Order: sequence, then C-alpha cells, then structure tokens
Amino acid sequence: MGHLLQYVLNGLARGSIYSLIALGLVVIYRGTGHLNFAQGEMALFATFGAWWINDHGVPLWLAIMIAAGGAFVVGGVIEFGLIRPAGKKSPFAVVVITIGLFQAFNSLSGLLFKGAATGLPFGTLFPNKPTDFFRLPGGAIWRYEYVGVLVTVLVITALLFLLFQKTKVGLAMRMVANNPDSAKLAGVPTNKILMLSWALSASIGAIGGCLVAGINANVNLGTMFGVFLLASAAATLGGLDSPLGAVVGGLSLGVIESLVTNYPKSWWGSTYIGADTAIAVAFLIILVVLLVRPSGLFGSTRVERV
Amino acid sequence: MSPEPTNANGVAPLLDVRGLTAGYGQVQVLQGLNLRVAQGEVAVILGANGAGKTTTMRAISGMIARKGAITFSGDPMAKRSPDEIVRMGIAQVPQGRGTFTDLTVEDNLRAGAFVRKGADIEADIQEWFDVFPRLRERREQKAGSLSGGEQQMLAIARALMSRPKLLLCDEPSLGLAPIITQELFAVLQRLNAERGLSILIVEQNANLALGIAHSVFVLETGAIVASGTAEEISNNDAVRKAYLGY
Repeated sequence: MGHLLQYVLNGLARGSIYSLIALGLVVIYRGTGHLNFAQGEMALFATFGAWWINDHGVPLWLAIMIAAGGAFVVGGVIEFGLIRPAGKKSPFAVVVITIGLFQAFNSLSGLLFKGAATGLPFGTLFPNKPTDFFRLPGGAIWRYEYVGVLVTVLVITALLFLLFQKTKVGLAMRMVANNPDSAKLAGVPTNKILMLSWALSASIGAIGGCLVAGINANVNLGTMFGVFLLASAAATLGGLDSPLGAVVGGLSLGVIESLVTNYPKSWWGSTYIGADTAIAVAFLIILVVLLVRPSGLFGSTRVERV
Repeated sequence: MSPEPTNANGVAPLLDVRGLTAGYGQVQVLQGLNLRVAQGEVAVILGANGAGKTTTMRAISGMIARKGAITFSGDPMAKRSPDEIVRMGIAQVPQGRGTFTDLTVEDNLRAGAFVRKGADIEADIQEWFDVFPRLRERREQKAGSLSGGEQQMLAIARALMSRPKLLLCDEPSLGLAPIITQELFAVLQRLNAERGLSILIVEQNANLALGIAHSVFVLETGAIVASGTAEEISNNDAVRKAYLGY
C-alpha cells in the first residue's frame, strides 16, 4: 500500500508536466484544428533560453518568466509568419511546417547552446535536498519538489480555466474554437485570437520544459522528445479539444507510467521491465479508450439538433 | 435601379449596395448586384436555390472578397473587415443559425455582445430573455441541445445583442416547421414595428417573406431582376408564377 501511494505521487509529478504540454497542444488545436508537432521542441528551446539567462546571473524563477515571455512572442510570430499563410493554402502544409519547426528548434538549440547535446545542469525552483519531503502515513514520502511541480501546474491550469470562462478574450477563444464563422460575424478578430492561442501555448510549453529540466536537473537535446510523445498521447486521451481532458489525461499517463515501471520490479524482483514498457502500456490503454470513445475522455462529440 | 443617392421619399438609404460582385475562387456568383434598404424598413431578397442569396449576405458582412460600392449610413464599407462591419451596426444571423453549440445559451448572448463594452450587457440579456422566455428557461443549457426553432430565436437574440441598426437574416425559415416559421416571422415583424429595427431577409418562402416586407428584390443568377414594394412584386405575373406558384 505504501508502495502504491509512493508510485502514484511520483507519477503525478511527471504526469502534471505531461498535462502542461498537453494543455499547450489543446489550446492550439481548439482554435485551428492543427496539431503542433513542434510543441515539445519549442519548449526545449525556451528551456535552453531560461538556462542561458539563469547562467548570466538572473535568478531562475525570473529567467523562466523571461523565457516564457519570449516564447509568447515567438509563438505569436510563428502563427503570423508561417502557420497563417500556409493554412490558407492547405492544412497539410501546416502539419509539414510544424514537423519542420520540430527539427529546426532542436538543431538551433544544439547550435546556439554549447554542451546542449550532452546536457546542461538545470536548477529547480523547489527545495530538493534529500531530506526535503513530507512523510505520509504508510511510509510513502512526498518530495517538496514533486509537490511544487504539481501545485504549479494546477495553478496554471486554474488560471487558464479562469481565462477561458471568465474573460472576454477567453469567450472569444471559445467562440473561435466552436464556430469560427459565427465568431467572425459577431465581430471577433479571429486572426488575432489564433495568434494569441499560439503565443499562449508556447508560453505554457516553456514553463513545462523548465519544470521537466528541473526534475531531471538537466536539459539536453533529447529532454522533450519522450515528454512530447506522452503529452500528445495525453491530449488525445483527454479529447484534443478539452483542457480538462488534457489535465486528466496527463496525470493518468504519469501515474500509469510510474506504476508500470515500478510494480513489476517489486513483484518479480526484475529490472527487466522498465520505462520503455511503461510507454507501450500507456499507448495500449489509449488505444483501448479511443476504440470505445473515439473523441477521447472529454472531447466534444458535437451532438447537434437541427 | 436608378443611381440617385436618395430614395423616393428623399431619405438617404441605410444600406446602399451598387455593382456588387463576389464569388468563390474562379466562380463569380454575384454579377453586379444593386439593392437598398431604407431606415426602418423590412427588405426581402427573394430567390431560388443557387441564385446567390447567401453570397449576397456574406459579401455585405465582409465574410468573402467582394467588389463594388457598399455604403452604410453613407459610410463606405466595401473594404471593411467583418468585425469592423459589426461595429458599424450590421449583425447577421447566418444560414443554419450559426449558434455556438458548445456554449450555454447565456454565453451565446454574451458572445453576441462581443463588440460592446459596459454593464448594460447583462440588462440586455435579461431583456431578450423577456422577449424569448424559452431562452431564459434554457439559459444554462448548451445551445446545441436546443430545438431548431429555439436555436433560431437564440441566433436572432444573439445578433441583436450587438445593438445593430440593421439585421441581416439568411433564410431564417430553413429546416423549421411551418408553425415555428410563422412565429419567427411574427417576431421579426414585431422587432421592426416596435423598435424600428431595419431588417434585410433573404428567403425562398415567398409567401412568408412578402407578408412582412416593405420592399422586395428578386434575385436570379447573381443579379436583381425585379424590385419594388411587396404589393408591386406580388402583382408581377412572372414573379407570381416563379415564386408563389399561381
């Protein structure tokens, strides 16, 4: 029982990061119907940016905020300069462009930041000495760092929820997501809203990247690859257009990953079944869910009466 | 149509469209269309399927590329974007209603007030709930769960939330039961009579449309082929045969 709780807690920390990257994917998907394959690598680039700023003597929290702000601008520019002109011609062109951006941001990171391939040490925002943890009943421990990551993600999610539900910009984003034509007819400048979606998504990604790097205490060119894979799976599981689904999907995958990685070890004393199997199991679960519910756990199925 | 800038009664028209051409890609649907809507009147464009009714509405609202001269209260608007046109005071209820199906009824009304600022938005929502009590009952429901008639009422209320001077309705009767359609046209007539709202409707259902129209335009293959008062058009033999069936 103590083990179970322990694995769940560990899984929630990683899972919350999957949630965050998945949220970024959902914010763009809702507005445009595009999957941004470069989400992870854009976040990686921003994370290297935060490392660089931090390396020049700026406190880490401030460096991360600056990187998130920079990502906001870069995200908006990418929508305006690349996605919008291409999207007018063909949706497939957008897919190719985001795959190109994936490659571009990874290569650019390697080019600009010396030692990026082997890894650079990355600090954490939260206390992470070996003794920094809560002791829970049953013997499980909950590291302050994991608590911090989870709380950060939940706060960002809550802020996003408030943005969507309680502000005029959020209303406009929901309008564009639901019916772009009617949104235009109601006077919403839809182009600006889409640009904002990309900007917001890039910012969220940047924070996600920095949290991953913080947990790993390291950032390298491969840091975001596996994270993006699981985050996109989380977004699909939740239903690509549902922010709540992204969060639930991300947390579930994190927990599943942690359980599958750790349980067989304690059952059979074997280290043979590891993280790779965890990903396979995670995807198997997604496959089953999507077979039963093609629009994901919380995705809208668009039931309409005419 | 004569090119003078004023109507017979000497008042500048609210909406003045001249030589409007528009289409999709290579296909030009509108071939130099002229029409006018006077302040405070209900104008109807009659036309069969494919005549260019929806294209006309989308061109006026700035949803598709168009050429020609369009003025609203004397201000040129042919080069304006859809959101600028809404701010000028034109609201459109698109074909198929165009409600935000995933949003609640109440949020749909807020969405309609997107171009407005201020505290009186909530008061307006209550006002439209008074006009359409069914919508108040369903305020928390998603618009997609409403019946076709309720959605059409919602679409009209939503458009009116922007406090337009001119309401464009694209085939409001489409897909509705006759009794609902009659109710709907009664509402439109009341909005015009009681609030002085100017309305431009495109319709296939000539009987209904002629019943509430002050002026009528007959649209065929992208151009206006006849226009006049509702009475004149009803007495036009060719129009009667084509659109009224007798």
